[in-house]
Amino acid sequence: MLEYVSYALVLFSLAMYVVLDGYDLGVGMLSLAARPERRRQYSEIVATAWDANESWIILAGVVLWAGLPGAYAVVLPSVYLPLIVMLISIILRGLGLEMQSAAGGYRRGWALLFGGASLATTLCQGLILGTVLTGPAQRDGTFQGAAFGWFSLYSVLCALGLVAVHLLAGAAWLQDKTEGWSRSGARRTGRFLLLVTAAMAVVLGLTLRSADPQQFHLGQPTRAVFFWLAVAGAAGACAVAWHAFGRRPDWRPFAAVAALIVCGLLGLVAVSVPVVVPPALTVHQAASPHSSELFLVLGVGLSMPFVLAYNIYAWQSFRGKYTAPVESPLPPLRDRAQPPTASHERTGTPRTIMRRTLLIVLGTAAVGVSQDVFGGVADWIDPIGVAVLCCTALAAWITGDRRDERAGYFDATTGAETRS
Amino acid sequence: MVSSTVVELSRWQFAITAIFHMTFPALTVGLSVLLAVVYTVYVRTGNPLYLQIFRFWRKIFAVGFGLGVVAGTVMTFEFGLNWGIYAHAVGPVVGVTIGMEVITAFFLEAGFIGLMLYGDGRIRPRTMALASWMVAIGTLLSTTWILSANSWMQDPVGYRKADGQFQAEDWISILFNPAFAHRFPHMLLAVLISAAWFVGGISAWYLVKNRVNAQPMARRCLSIALGVLGVLMPVQLYVGDGTAVFMGGHQPAKLQAFEGNWESDNNGYNLLVVPDTDRGENAFHVGIPYLGSVIAQDLSGETKTPGLLQTPPDERPDMWATFYGFRAMYFTALIMFGTAFAGLVLRMRRRLFDSPRFLRWMVWMTPAGIIAITGGWITAEAGRQPWVVYGQLRTADAVSHLNTFEVAGSLAGFVLLYGALLAIWARYIVRTVKAGPEAPPTGPATPDVSEALVA
Repeated sequence: MLEYVSYALVLFSLAMYVVLDGYDLGVGMLSLAARPERRRQYSEIVATAWDANESWIILAGVVLWAGLPGAYAVVLPSVYLPLIVMLISIILRGLGLEMQSAAGGYRRGWALLFGGASLATTLCQGLILGTVLTGPAQRDGTFQGAAFGWFSLYSVLCALGLVAVHLLAGAAWLQDKTEGWSRSGARRTGRFLLLVTAAMAVVLGLTLRSADPQQFHLGQPTRAVFFWLAVAGAAGACAVAWHAFGRRPDWRPFAAVAALIVCGLLGLVAVSVPVVVPPALTVHQAASPHSSELFLVLGVGLSMPFVLAYNIYAWQSFRGKYTAPVESPLPPLRDRAQPPTASHERTGTPRTIMRRTLLIVLGTAAVGVSQDVFGGVADWIDPIGVAVLCCTALAAWITGDRRDERAGYFDATTGAETRS
Repeated sequence: MVSSTVVELSRWQFAITAIFHMTFPALTVGLSVLLAVVYTVYVRTGNPLYLQIFRFWRKIFAVGFGLGVVAGTVMTFEFGLNWGIYAHAVGPVVGVTIGMEVITAFFLEAGFIGLMLYGDGRIRPRTMALASWMVAIGTLLSTTWILSANSWMQDPVGYRKADGQFQAEDWISILFNPAFAHRFPHMLLAVLISAAWFVGGISAWYLVKNRVNAQPMARRCLSIALGVLGVLMPVQLYVGDGTAVFMGGHQPAKLQAFEGNWESDNNGYNLLVVPDTDRGENAFHVGIPYLGSVIAQDLSGETKTPGLLQTPPDERPDMWATFYGFRAMYFTALIMFGTAFAGLVLRMRRRLFDSPRFLRWMVWMTPAGIIAITGGWITAEAGRQPWVVYGQLRTADAVSHLNTFEVAGSLAGFVLLYGALLAIWARYIVRTVKAGPEAPPTGPATPDVSEALVA
């Protein structure tokens, strides 16, 4: 029973990822086609939430590892190259995004990197999805296939299909977030992408049977009922999205697209469960032992409400149309008329030399104490010696810091010349 | 059977991606704590200096954090990609621990980082302080879970082996395993210390260059950094010593390798060795006589340091990596301790901000913490070989069934990408530092020349 809960957790994280990072990736791809002044805005829209959105794929991966290690160990090596390229693309995408945002102006190179890497990430994810659906070569619970086993017509089609889905999510998100698109423009783009997505879904659904003939039969009535329910839900979501693109309220297309994605995922699960990795690796075979499942389900399950709560809170803070961040200017720093005068001493006098020698001896001794160099002495000196040393340092630091603060070292020197 | 080339390449790939990833948390954990503290002080006192500090370090933190996240994503998947057998065997233990890290720590950081970086003008200052604390707590929690998972692999307890899998029996002893008790405080102090060197070094640079705009901020930050270092460095040396003693007891081969002896007849302390692994001896070594015995708490000089020949040949770690990893960590730590001590003395003598030589030295110390952390992890991980789960699962038996081409290709990809990323990141830091902190509107009358660099 618990293995189904962890399977559900994996699916939930995956759904969250496809919906949330789907719009990120879609906005990234759409930014390739946008005008330069718009590109910067697109990446700023993504920048506020991509860390959180990206976390869901990490959660999906880790829960798969902990809850269904059998599946994790088979799937990952089988899609080695596309997954590595996906990871590299994710890195480049994060780099492009952060650098563009930190650079403080529009930078063509970073913007293109962000867009291009979004496209590459999506393509790789589609290839991975296609490979998993058609079933990687496996024996005795380990992957036994070839390096390019993931490359097939079906996985390429899947990659294109996923591009369409993410573009659709991106377009819906942009309608919610920007004023930039005219209503008719949003409607045209959204409806076009919707048509493409629906067409790809039909093609992929029909060819799935020929790609993997041994699985996915709809013979059992329960399975068939759930499957057709999911299909009906997806069709309904399509209809709502068709209507909502280019119309107020602006949040509706994205909600419809999210529902569409969730229904699609549920449909896939309905035809495949309890198989996790086709052709025959089931949830039971792939699962962890009971103790691990219990800990995982309790730990992740109990944390999930909190995670959702603060994610919603963060999302709420940025709700509505995107506006350029308003950073209030820094208030003037505290002033100080006189620069602090440093006490200049002559160096090289016998007193200085003696003082320095003493300090070095003292320093070496302190290092020695903290390092147990004094052998048996250490047994009693260790914890007390270290504690005394730390407390002395802390006290000296606090005193010195207060004194410097009073002396005005931490205030600005208005009009003061630079001391040489 | 998987070819030994795949094993070697996979090990290199893991080592490179892990070291690269570690560079970022080494800074961002400590920086996140600094940011949370200075913003809280700003909210409480209203002194704009702390807002200036917050905004300046946030710029460096943001990019480092982003790169850390994406490099961490690679790590998460690499366990299954290259180490499929390992992933299957330890998934029920290590997988769960890392899963808890993701759900409790990673999400916390990632959920609040957007608010912290882009929340200006949208959320109240108090909420901003809360977000900063949540990010800091997230990074600290993350360190805790990761250290728990890694320490379990160093010293596995609380499990039962069945069907080639490690099955958890006692979660309390797995999570709080004996190695964790030593290694977690060691690592926690290490990340705080390395961020302190970074902050202190960059602040010292402003003082050396006499940048008028940045003086108050630089003095403030240098004071904070040296205060933290003065308190934490002695503790760190003490905790580190405890960790080494613990490891010497639990993983004798690691101690033998990082002390650099083959025969068990040396009472000295090796400074430099050139190990000859095939013949089982050092081709060359420089040491201080009797010091080894003194460190082992025997002042008579009779105690000999155990040598690597005591360990069977197929269970020996590589002496090169272990020895020099340890030396990089330990010698840097001694220099760090000395510098922190000197800083404390200067502070008591009211010379801290007017000692050009010390400040220039501080600039050189900027990467000291990162170097020490890297060296420490090389010691910990290379010294555990040939085991991936110590004494239970060999690294060579843990690799996925991949062919050489795949691993070599991805390794080359990561090397190129990470090399470029490090260069871009270093350049970004240099630019941000040169541009300096945001100047208040009624700043000094003389405009800062390098302000022109701001893009």
